[in-house]
Amino acid sequence: MSALSLHKKIEENTGLLIFGILLVSAIGGLVQILPVLNQKSLEEPTVNTKPYSAIELTGRDIYMREGCSVCHSQQIRPLIAEVERYGPYSRAGEFVYDRPFMWGSKRTGPDLHRIGGKYTDDWHRIHLIDPRTVVPESIMPGYPWLAERAASETGNIVAKMTALRKLGHPYTDAQIAAAESDLEGLMEIDALTAYLQILGTGLDEEIAR
Amino acid sequence: MVADLPTGFWSGWVIVLTCVSLATLVWIVLSVYFAPPDSKSTHGEIDHDPVWDTDLREGTSAPPLWWFWMLLGALVFSLGYLMLYPGLGSFEGLLNWSQGKRLVSSYENYEESFDARRAEIAATSLSELQGNTALMETADRIFRRECSACHGADGRGQAALFPNLLDVDWQWGGSPEQIEQTLRGGRNASMPAWEASLGEEKTRDVANYLLNFSDRGHAGRTVYEQNCAACHGVDGTGNVFLGAPNLADNTWLYGGDIDSILATLRQGRAGKMPAFDEQRLDAAQLKLIIAKLAR
Repeated sequence: MSALSLHKKIEENTGLLIFGILLVSAIGGLVQILPVLNQKSLEEPTVNTKPYSAIELTGRDIYMREGCSVCHSQQIRPLIAEVERYGPYSRAGEFVYDRPFMWGSKRTGPDLHRIGGKYTDDWHRIHLIDPRTVVPESIMPGYPWLAERAASETGNIVAKMTALRKLGHPYTDAQIAAAESDLEGLMEIDALTAYLQILGTGLDEEIAR
Repeated sequence: MVADLPTGFWSGWVIVLTCVSLATLVWIVLSVYFAPPDSKSTHGEIDHDPVWDTDLREGTSAPPLWWFWMLLGALVFSLGYLMLYPGLGSFEGLLNWSQGKRLVSSYENYEESFDARRAEIAATSLSELQGNTALMETADRIFRRECSACHGADGRGQAALFPNLLDVDWQWGGSPEQIEQTLRGGRNASMPAWEASLGEEKTRDVANYLLNFSDRGHAGRTVYEQNCAACHGVDGTGNVFLGAPNLADNTWLYGGDIDSILATLRQGRAGKMPAFDEQRLDAAQLKLIIAKLAR
């Protein structure tokens, strides 16, 4: 049988044609996506990767809300120029508690994956309110309202942590019970700073070299 | 650094599906171009082809031949690629290439090309480095990249929070060794909040005394000597081992007016310098920075 007579058969039989189209368009996914979903090594958190605390999780939500990932990526590629500038390249296991991940796809500002610990909390506070106070040539907008809004008003932290636990994030009952009091008295800027300071710190020191 | 390749069953799954897809493509291409002529003309065109609008027929002749060569080229390329590079399940490819290995080898080249320069910097004394204009320009570049976000592009400090590095006042000491320690290990200064224990009045007294340090009869002097002198010294010259700044001079990191000093006394201060490990600053870069900053 040649492909031409097969083609004729398929063209004259709608059911067969639909099946054929589905089969062909599924092959890419069957080869590239399905095995990855079943690859345990990609779901293994790196040594120091922990689920985000109530404060960090709130900071992460603020990061999403303010669209930080529009200008900042969180993925360091295994190229010497990036590793020299930003630090060890990103590993899959560092993102297991990111739902969704904030990899981003454009760098108007620098990559932020290894920003944790690079600057002090005070620096982040000043820089977030008005970046030009510390970096005169910066084109980043200021986010002064972060210092005026309470972190506890950014969504329902207990509901968020409970939902994430259902997805497999190992939060304890005590952590969830303490979540609201953890946020007490904190402003959004404190939560965002806490999130920025934890970024990229999940790597084993051995690998980091 | 082994790439995350699929293993076991899924490796076989990928290999089989990839090979079957490729084989199917080869069969389709070959049979379209090289099918036996009878099935084309007698069966296809005459008996079964529908005819629309009186003369519009679906032809069955093969697409142009250059398509064939292009498809053949693409097939050969993908076979070659799958043999040389990772792609077929857990097979790592004949070239043994991976992103991780590429990074390692570019680092080897990098180290090699800079080793001589680094050795040269390591062997040069600080004062000679300071006299070398080209190297000091390199030091300026490193400073702008790593330090300027806090200490300012000119190094004069900013935001009433990050100290001036070009003056003679060094909170943690300005000797090359002390600067190295500050850079490698980071620093955490801790000025407690005093108002709770001193009370409003004594806090004001101390603040005023700090502005009139030479006034030996000042009301704040006793309070100072009882509470502040342990770190900042009786004479107020500070202690570089604790990071306690000199209070007798005119340099005030957090502001030297009465309100700023009161704010410092009331809320305390926790100055922090992040650590710069080997990855952020290698030994040669560190030495250049020290040469730039040390007096």
